Amino acid sequence: MRKQLFKWVALGLVLMGGIAALAYTARTPIEEASAAPPDEGIICTYGPTFTLSTIDGYIGTPDDNVVYMWGYAADNSPFQHPSPVLCVNEGDTVTVILHNTLPDDVSIMFPGQENVLANGQPAQPQFDGGGNLTSLTNVATANGGSITYSFVADKPGTFLYESGTEPDVQVRMGLFGALIVRPALGADHVYNRSDSQFNPDTEFMVLLSEVDPFLNGAMERHVQRNRPFIYNMENYRPRYWLVNGRGFPDSIAPNFASWLPSQPYGALARIHPYDPVDNPIPAMARYLNVGTTEFPFHPHGNNGRVIGRDGHPLEGNSGEDLSFEKFSINLGPGQTWDIIFKWYDAEGYSASNPVPVTVPGIQNLVFGLFYSGSPYLGEQGTLPVGTSNTNACGEYYIISHNHALYQITSWGVPMTGPITYMRIDPPLPNDCP
Amino acid sequence: MMKKSPPQNLSRRSFLKLAGGTAAAAAFGGYVLPRTLGKTLRPSAVSVASAADPEPDLFFAGTDGWISLPDSPAIPPFHPDDLAPAPFNAYIFGFRNITGLDATQIAQQKNKAQHSAPLFWTQQDVPFRVKLTNLGLALRPDLVDAHTLHWHGFRNVIPFFDGEPSGSISVPIGREFTYVFNAHDPGTYMYHCHVEDVEHVHMGMTGLVFVRPAQDTNTSLYPSGKYAYNDGDGSTGFDREFAMFLSEFWAEAHWADSHIQLPEWSDYHADFAMLNGRVYPDTIAPSGSVDPFNLVHDANGDLIPTPGYERLQYQPLSSLVTCNAGERVLLRFANLGFMQAAMTTTGFKMHVVGKDATLLRGRDGTDHSYMTNTVSIGAGESAEAIFVAPPYQGPGPYDTYYLYNRAYTRSSNLSAGGAAGQMTEIHVYPAGTLGTQSVPNT
Repeated sequence: MRKQLFKWVALGLVLMGGIAALAYTARTPIEEASAAPPDEGIICTYGPTFTLSTIDGYIGTPDDNVVYMWGYAADNSPFQHPSPVLCVNEGDTVTVILHNTLPDDVSIMFPGQENVLANGQPAQPQFDGGGNLTSLTNVATANGGSITYSFVADKPGTFLYESGTEPDVQVRMGLFGALIVRPALGADHVYNRSDSQFNPDTEFMVLLSEVDPFLNGAMERHVQRNRPFIYNMENYRPRYWLVNGRGFPDSIAPNFASWLPSQPYGALARIHPYDPVDNPIPAMARYLNVGTTEFPFHPHGNNGRVIGRDGHPLEGNSGEDLSFEKFSINLGPGQTWDIIFKWYDAEGYSASNPVPVTVPGIQNLVFGLFYSGSPYLGEQGTLPVGTSNTNACGEYYIISHNHALYQITSWGVPMTGPITYMRIDPPLPNDCP
Repeated sequence: MMKKSPPQNLSRRSFLKLAGGTAAAAAFGGYVLPRTLGKTLRPSAVSVASAADPEPDLFFAGTDGWISLPDSPAIPPFHPDDLAPAPFNAYIFGFRNITGLDATQIAQQKNKAQHSAPLFWTQQDVPFRVKLTNLGLALRPDLVDAHTLHWHGFRNVIPFFDGEPSGSISVPIGREFTYVFNAHDPGTYMYHCHVEDVEHVHMGMTGLVFVRPAQDTNTSLYPSGKYAYNDGDGSTGFDREFAMFLSEFWAEAHWADSHIQLPEWSDYHADFAMLNGRVYPDTIAPSGSVDPFNLVHDANGDLIPTPGYERLQYQPLSSLVTCNAGERVLLRFANLGFMQAAMTTTGFKMHVVGKDATLLRGRDGTDHSYMTNTVSIGAGESAEAIFVAPPYQGPGPYDTYYLYNRAYTRSSNLSAGGAAGQMTEIHVYPAGTLGTQSVPNT
């Protein structure tokens, strides 16, 4: 309980700070809100031509640490982590112009893309005069170099882009991002299969990564203090694990939360219950693993249907459906998995169809921060006096988290790291803010 | 319906806007905000089931306790645990099945947790009631953690019955709560306490649960009438089934809990890896009481150890697979360790028919089950694999095959000869030797 108290106090402070900061920046009034990006879901940077710069900066972690990172930033934007989500359409000729502001050579690999060109010529591994590999692809040279990559995005799906130069260091420093190729069938499909349709209002990203702060500290001294980069890779051991570049509870803050200035992407999945008439189309989650071990991500309460991996639909040679449901999305390093999912109220419990148990009195239970006080969707019950609670309208919060549970910690702080929630709002119309 | 009316009060966001930003919010601090929330969260009456609650199908308790792992290799100062009472050497948190015990017997089960947690199963579409109580931690009275029962993988669960403490409620010491699971999807799952997730899971509050399909008892598809799934063609029919629950033991973390310390979880590694809570060769020792619906206990309500295996009193579930030649044997794997496992057999192949409580068929019915001799199972994953017991070769009463984690560090535990950890034996008898299996893992 001592630990729990600390946890809730810490979480409360984070949320308080967040709400305070939100008020301070006086966000867009409601009537103008249509232009603002949504609080939840994937935020695309649209192409097919992108200008990216390598840049360094800092992220915050749930233990109140600050970690030095690298990233690709679009169109002279400030540093962000992870790098922007690049969205293109099937058949686009994608052009990525890379400018390098860092003191080391950098590059971009596009795993899953074929016939990638670098400055108009086939992209090639790079070697030094002694024949030693220096980069898996052509580089933008240190301190101001540039290079232009191009390829035809001929396969829909979810892909990574990441550094091919000293990737064991540079990818871990943050030189990675997601690339989404929309199929010819339409932006509401994952692939060119009618059974890959999803509701574009409920498209989410689950980008999983890891950080060894000693590696990043060594790089910070190298870049910021102009010292040699000294780090023994034998000692590599992640202390942070992140989802969309954030650890819980930051992970459930809105996209572009002002108190996370360099970590723009939230991970809260906000949906409504499946209904065959009113909400028949599933939600979608694009999972990516940029770490170096498997990340077994476990969404409670819904078995995602895996319909594609690494930019390939799960189908047979004649189009047979080889998709399957999973409750542990066990991504290997560098993999991407495309998942459609839904949640429905299987038993339809409500005040008029009560749960078949006597609900203990409030003095006999411990109440969670997100719990409405009622078993029923859209209802709110009595909470013990003094209980901190963030439930707004009787919505459900069902957790998703990495199930290698030592990885849902942040250098000693438990119940942080790659955790997010599926927020299920009551069916529309509802009273939710 | 008792829908609440639309809120007349200011939303949190508008309130803070009015309050004028950071300074005001900070000044009011933790006082104004909860009160504001309290107004928004106007209570509505919580309904109560009208009739008295039926008896639960199972009654579990959460508490701490002691188990036995190999003394060697020693991992000083963490293992063997210097606080452990003989014949045990490792501190755990865990569940116990206390169904049918009286109040005095229940109270005496404090500090008598078992690992893995009691194996149980339910029937598809039949609501199943599990009552949970919290006996507290005898060795750590300073830790007054609540417990929950989270059924891992249960589709479309409501938070109320999910056991995830932030989105739901949890059970403090001395209280009770009944979970009702109406499982619609057959297959192999797992369950665990979700409070202080990494700690309570790693400390041992983990076990395997499975759901029998509605197709069961139909003997026209497979003679036994036992199936893993509603396959429609008997392809998942089996004669015998064995739960293979995978968990791990990082000695420093267990020692830390018994010594009022906190481990640095990012240093995690598995010193011991267990099958059904035991390390080979203990895995092939006899089971204690493992039928959850016919619990055998002594006068005090305690588990009864098998004579000669007193060390394993609180690790009652054997992993020994016994079968007759030619029979179909279902292995139900579930992994609540933190590492990827590679469960390997030699001498025959396994047919992986399901993963994560899902029959391996596409939405159009395309079969994508597969044959393998290594089932890869990540943290939080489950799988069903069926093998056909090979012909009896002799001599001796049975032929022996092995099932082990091909990730050798978790099937050797640094022991001499490299045989320990997640490893067990499969004994194949001549056809007709063994009678019908009545309870899994027997």
